[in-house]
Amino acid sequence: MRAAALLLAVLAWPAQAAWEWSAPLTVNSVQGAAIFPHLESANRQGVAVSGDTVGVVWEDNRSGSPQCYLAMKPATAAAFKPEIRLSQADCFEPVVLALGAGRFVTAWEEAGTVHARVLPGGTVLQLTQAEAAQVTLAIRGDALYAAWAEQAGRFRRIVVARLTVNADALGVKTAQPVEAAMPADEQGWPALAVAGDGSVTVAWEDRRSRHTVPMVSHSRDGRSFSPPVRLTDIESGSAPGGLGAGTGAMRPTLTARGEQGVVAVWLDKRDFLSGYDVFAAIDTGNRRFGKNIRVQDNFGDNMAQWHALVVGDARGRLVALWDDARDGTPDVWLSEWEGEAFGDDVAVPGAAGPGGQSDPVATFDAAGSLHVVWLERGETAGTRIRYAHAERN
Amino acid sequence: MNLIKMLLAASCLWVGAALADPPPGYPFVGYDAGLKAARASGKPIFMYFGRYGCAWCDHTNKKTFSDAALKKLYTENYELVYVDAESGKRLTLPSGERITEAELGVRLQAFATPLFVYLTPQGDKIVQIPGFKTVQDFRDYDRYVRGGHYKQKTLLEFLGGKS
Repeated sequence: MRAAALLLAVLAWPAQAAWEWSAPLTVNSVQGAAIFPHLESANRQGVAVSGDTVGVVWEDNRSGSPQCYLAMKPATAAAFKPEIRLSQADCFEPVVLALGAGRFVTAWEEAGTVHARVLPGGTVLQLTQAEAAQVTLAIRGDALYAAWAEQAGRFRRIVVARLTVNADALGVKTAQPVEAAMPADEQGWPALAVAGDGSVTVAWEDRRSRHTVPMVSHSRDGRSFSPPVRLTDIESGSAPGGLGAGTGAMRPTLTARGEQGVVAVWLDKRDFLSGYDVFAAIDTGNRRFGKNIRVQDNFGDNMAQWHALVVGDARGRLVALWDDARDGTPDVWLSEWEGEAFGDDVAVPGAAGPGGQSDPVATFDAAGSLHVVWLERGETAGTRIRYAHAERN
Repeated sequence: MNLIKMLLAASCLWVGAALADPPPGYPFVGYDAGLKAARASGKPIFMYFGRYGCAWCDHTNKKTFSDAALKKLYTENYELVYVDAESGKRLTLPSGERITEAELGVRLQAFATPLFVYLTPQGDKIVQIPGFKTVQDFRDYDRYVRGGHYKQKTLLEFLGGKS
């Protein structure tokens, strides 16, 4: 028994040694059995670090209707400040991005259109007049972009906008659909990344092939986009007998990585009997994604993975996170790119163990620390939004 | 007449867009509408958790839900709800929590489609059954649910005891 424990400790050592985690903190100041916070958003952008300030956004129903909130904390502080309410009407799927020096830009869906605001200070800018949802943001230098899914006839399509920031005021410089033609089926859940060369990559869910396929397009200038191609290397097609249209894949996320790279991670049901798996594809800089790579290790094989995302940084670090219940209850898992493949899955301490820990969002700060936020569901006390950061040692 | 045809065509298109791949001819509705209808009618809910383009859903629709007697049985005795496993469309759980249809799959720990879920008129889960099923399977599940056997037995116990 002791030998088995020693063996397990030795096997686990390389992964455990990789990240040194802070003690988790609670982000949301109001909890209750009938209050339901959500961290869902396009590209899962629920946390950002701007200078020495951490910002977290979410939606909950504490006021009796779904509203969006931002909580901030100096990096060294032991607690988050009371949250700021961002919205006035029903609000969903907020995102946050660092502008630097403690400033953030946030965006969200409110009353059927998408809005954005610089914080602290700033006023709300309504980004669309048309019905729109699932907004996301990306920045490189002073080039700030937003993307969202906007109603165009019967279906939604993806629109990309270049935004301007003057002090605390946001503006829309340009906004145009990725494709000029009207959508042939539903499009949604866009993800954006701005690479080191300034080019913009946008990925989204697309149903033009009569099943859900993550598609991707690039733009050198943020205005003219290449014809979309699929992220998945599984072709569409019916099963024998003309059944169906293809396997499912959903919720693509993107991150810029290194000098020129862009990496995508999504949920993929090509193995349709074991739920969604986490898959990735890497664009090293030629604006073409390589072969699909399965992210989670074999211990996650017969288990559905959920809420996957990818985060990278300019130094080349690359981490995928998700939740699954391989140990009996949902835990947050992390896998780091090791040059040729993703490494062993590591449970995030504080986001694993008894109870349910799920819905991770994450970001790297400028110094390379990893910041992770997740939901911790309690039976009676309600759901807490939890935060921890980790240093690579 | 042309206007009526146009409205009918638009209605069919909308249903196709919003509901993805439920079996044709069945009065499936969204989750919120189905829960509301069940509370009013007192009928249990039969929820079809499908995926857009899903081959096994298509197979079940063609082989099983094409049966006229089964269609009559389920249409008359259940509130029929269709949920799209990858949709961002929102629904409200009996707890009051508002989530997306895709997130409902997380809560159900759905690992394959189709997934068939029987619910009480109040929205509490009775049993969930994944994968292709035959007409006879659905007749057995109906007896289990509407006969109230789920209050005393698991589905496996019930099916093991049938003659």
